[in-house]
Amino acid sequence: MNINDVFIEETFAEAFTMRVARVIVTARSPRWVREAALKLTGFATSVIGCKIEAGIERELPERETPDGRPGVSVLLMTMSKDDLPKRLIERIGQTILTCPTTACFDGLPEAPDRLGVGSALRFFGDGFQSSKVIGGERFWRIPVMEGEFLVQEKFGMVKGVGGGNFLILAQSADAALAAAEAAVDAMAGYPGIILPFPGGVVRSGSKVGSRRIKSMIASTNDAFCPTLRAITPSQLPETVNSVLEIVINGTDADAIAGGMRLGIRAACREGVVSISAGNYGGKLGPHHFHLRKIIGGAA
Amino acid sequence: MSGLRVSLHAPLDPAADCSALLDGNWTGLAPEALGRRPVAMPGRGDVPLAELAEVSGEPDGTIRLAGDWSQAVRLGAGLVEGAVVVEGDVGDEVGVGMAGGSIEVHGRAGARAGAAAPAARRGMTGGELIVRGDAGAECGALMRRGLVAVGGTVADHAGVGMIAGTLLAFGDVGPVPGLWSKRGSIVALGRVAIPSTYRFACTYQPPHLRLLLRRLQTRYRLPVEARHLTGFYHRYSGDLAELGKGEILTWTAS
Repeated sequence: MNINDVFIEETFAEAFTMRVARVIVTARSPRWVREAALKLTGFATSVIGCKIEAGIERELPERETPDGRPGVSVLLMTMSKDDLPKRLIERIGQTILTCPTTACFDGLPEAPDRLGVGSALRFFGDGFQSSKVIGGERFWRIPVMEGEFLVQEKFGMVKGVGGGNFLILAQSADAALAAAEAAVDAMAGYPGIILPFPGGVVRSGSKVGSRRIKSMIASTNDAFCPTLRAITPSQLPETVNSVLEIVINGTDADAIAGGMRLGIRAACREGVVSISAGNYGGKLGPHHFHLRKIIGGAA
Repeated sequence: MSGLRVSLHAPLDPAADCSALLDGNWTGLAPEALGRRPVAMPGRGDVPLAELAEVSGEPDGTIRLAGDWSQAVRLGAGLVEGAVVVEGDVGDEVGVGMAGGSIEVHGRAGARAGAAAPAARRGMTGGELIVRGDAGAECGALMRRGLVAVGGTVADHAGVGMIAGTLLAFGDVGPVPGLWSKRGSIVALGRVAIPSTYRFACTYQPPHLRLLLRRLQTRYRLPVEARHLTGFYHRYSGDLAELGKGEILTWTAS
């Protein structure tokens, strides 16, 4: 299969079940929404080293936020359901509570699993906090030097999918980067997905474990490193000199498949040789995203 | 037509205790079963609702009360579920001790709306009581949780003894609001005289008010204006003769 003369390999991305929370952050202006969101999602590229994966799902216009102010929707994901509340409390407490003018709301109100986030953060109020029940939901008013920080008591948690991906194999680093940027732009704002890596792009895709150090859980994906083509069992065609990866997490498999479809099509441009995907032989992750099926319209 | 509808044949005279009509679980009742619920009429004892009103419709969690209910006392007392709409005025003590659901009064409400039932130590513990017109004295007395929102004015001693909860008035608030309040919130969008046992804290934009006002605007079509949403509020803490963790928030143009 080819798209714009770019070969789509007969392979699949292998992804894992994760736990997801959707956090809505609002602020007085888009500037402070952006500042808060960037801090909230900072250092959250991979659970391998960050304990959590997070990203901005989309910006929200005033008409879509609970308090009618500019906002953003953020997805935060962990491997275990016990980890998610801990990470939410840490991150919202250190990045949203501290940020001027912000308020913080649950973006998964229908989720049956409820995490006590505001109910934990309220203790920062040192006994001066108070709560209000509005529309059946409890919100905590925490007094801060600026005025008050408002945070919802409970946040929903659902099962999601992490690790959807595709690889852009290009003739040059410039061509790989241009294709990756085009893919990210095409996927921006697609509902239900995030791209947790810097700018949505990964240059250091990893394989499971290490050839030399047993304690390492991940190390460089040497089969896709162009500089190692001559000394490893390379999977790179001869014309490929640079590879970038797009990693996609989402609230469900359909969202990831939809995002991958947009991204792959956008990445198929001049200078790109082929599109591949990372997997572990299908033995580790229960979610398999077959590239050709996705391009054809089915997950 | 969905929902239950109760149309009074004539105004209740004299005032009658309607506290049993919506007591406990009522949202699944058929019109016939609701019609058997009693109204305590002075001099006549308990009278089945069906003798006083036409009860019709199908149960879906809502009920509309048509006719003159201005002499209906304790309507919705202890309400736990459902959405109640009173198409006109209602008598004293509407929604006393209610714990859930909503009561929407399109006209005026008498004294002690959303307050505590006689001899009870606390008033509303949940739910939403909306009065589009004016509300009488001691509105929200001893509230523990929940919301009372009044589209018009609120008479004297509003929120007396509030334990918590929110009382919001679009019109003026009468003398000595929030007396003995522990943690209650009184929000005055009209004029209000701050009691001497409250102390000014600051002028700011309470973030929760935007949520609350937007809900009142979208769910109940109350007359929320842009200035209410984006404006500033003076915060007064009190009652300092009590716990002092309550507040009166007053909208300010400056």
